[in-house]
Amino acid sequence: MSQLIDFVIVSVVLVSIGVYGLVVKRNAIRMLFSIEIIINAANLNLVAFSRSLPNVQGQVFALFSIAIAAAEVAVGLGLIIIAYRLYKEIDVAEFKSMRG
Amino acid sequence: MIDILSTPILITVILGVVGLAIPVIDAGKRERGANRNKLFSGISLGAIILAICLILFRIFSGEISGSVVFSKDVLSDDLFGSFFAIALLIVSAMVAASSWNYMKSRSNPAAYYSLILLSSIGMVLIAYSTDLVMLLVSWELMSIPTYALAAFAKRDPVSNEAAIKYFMFGALSSALLVFAIGLVYGIAGTTNIGDAIHAMSSLKPDLVPIGLLAVGLFIAGFGFKMGLVPFHMWLPDAYEGSPTTIGALLAAGTKKAGFAAALRVIVLGMFVLNVDWTFALAVIAVFTMTFGNLGALVQKSVPRILAYSSIAQAGYIMIGFALAPYSDQALTGSLFHIINHAVMKSAGFIAAAAVASVFASYSLEKYKGLGRRMPITAIAFSISLLALAGVPPLNGFWSKLVLFGAAINSGSHVAWGPWLAIAGVLNSALSLGYYAWIIRKMYLEEAPDMTKVKEPRAIVAVLVFAIVFMVGFGVWYGPLLNFASHAVPDLATLPLPVHR
Repeated sequence: MSQLIDFVIVSVVLVSIGVYGLVVKRNAIRMLFSIEIIINAANLNLVAFSRSLPNVQGQVFALFSIAIAAAEVAVGLGLIIIAYRLYKEIDVAEFKSMRG
Repeated sequence: MIDILSTPILITVILGVVGLAIPVIDAGKRERGANRNKLFSGISLGAIILAICLILFRIFSGEISGSVVFSKDVLSDDLFGSFFAIALLIVSAMVAASSWNYMKSRSNPAAYYSLILLSSIGMVLIAYSTDLVMLLVSWELMSIPTYALAAFAKRDPVSNEAAIKYFMFGALSSALLVFAIGLVYGIAGTTNIGDAIHAMSSLKPDLVPIGLLAVGLFIAGFGFKMGLVPFHMWLPDAYEGSPTTIGALLAAGTKKAGFAAALRVIVLGMFVLNVDWTFALAVIAVFTMTFGNLGALVQKSVPRILAYSSIAQAGYIMIGFALAPYSDQALTGSLFHIINHAVMKSAGFIAAAAVASVFASYSLEKYKGLGRRMPITAIAFSISLLALAGVPPLNGFWSKLVLFGAAINSGSHVAWGPWLAIAGVLNSALSLGYYAWIIRKMYLEEAPDMTKVKEPRAIVAVLVFAIVFMVGFGVWYGPLLNFASHAVPDLATLPLPVHR
């Protein structure tokens, strides 16, 4: 029987991985995946809390959040595909036509 | 149980049905090949105006309760939500009407108007939601359509670049929000905002750091949308690169919805943890207004100047949030400034859209001699800039007066209160520097070609409405101020540690 704190620690580690990826990587799809890792860490938290609390709102919320994340990724990948058509690459460091 | 006939549900039904019907109509009539931009613009404008009329009718008939802010349901039909709903729907209406001209030669108008309507539903529901689940779902309903709208000019690399930057930070902000909501759920055991705040007021001391972490994550998550200073770096690019009418929707619409969410969650949640932490909001406010104004001084592109100026205006609005536990007047000023800024800023962006649709350029050089070439656009743009700066007979002056007055009055509770007013006044003076610069270009400098240009008709109609709003509520500010002060959430129901 694992403790609540174990889940929270795993979730914090996942968040750190996500933030690291977002800061260091410059490939648009890698950045998108890093954001997904952060969202999934939050979902893990919600489900773990919900297990130790006397209600299921957390699990319901995790379901909502998974569905929303899927919608978000669909839009994001669409944007990245258009970027690939325009630039023939998806390195966000190349996207700097606007300055100031 | 949710009442089917409550205002937010009815608005969702009206805007949702129209928003989903537009692509269906388009698919059904596709074979004739004509551009039905005008039809869709008219339908969506009609739906939004119907929604505004519904809210106004409900308010005047007294069916809407005062600002209860918290309820056991997921949505509360209160004045606070109605106030934001009206401000945000006015912005959507202005955007939908001005797109009549802006989308004329562009492809796929059906998806465009449908996304605007869906995004407006999200904004309105944020203002009404009293449950964190509802808040996140409507937050995403607001955000996801705007990512697609920002990239709407899909052959234009700048629009795509703006959309990718906007998307990355927007997705990060919602990830942080989910995490913050998870923490609040973990320590409070509920996702209802009112219950969560009550639970946080009696938190065990060893859980307080988690509460503060959650509030910090909320500030970051909402701050990305509101354009507060450590989280503002995507904002000028996104507002400049996206189609200019969508810039108006982002700067005036989604940003204000961020403030509605922040007021329900951060501000109220922060007080009960430790009221001294509102000083952090004050610091953010001062940095936000200063950075915004300094950034705007050196720009050459008009949408970019407006984007930086909207960062600065977010700083003024934050003054009221920072002082919220000490005086109701501060929050009144914030709400008043929110509705004023929504109209002023969208008027500015829509004037820039008019210039862009005629001259196909955003550069400040094109604004030379605009006073003679496009007289109505120029006068509306000048009035909106003067109102943003807070020049007396216009509406922006009164909201800044209420805000800064509240900051000075709060001196008896918090020593740093009056300094916010000083920072705000100095920043207003600084901002007049670049506002006056644009006005000078428009009226005093001569362009090589001074012939009068035909102004886009729908945009002129929107700008005339904006002039009437800005001058009208500048001279006769009473009703709007009254509405704002009634919409302020009733903090007496909160377990506040301070006595006012």
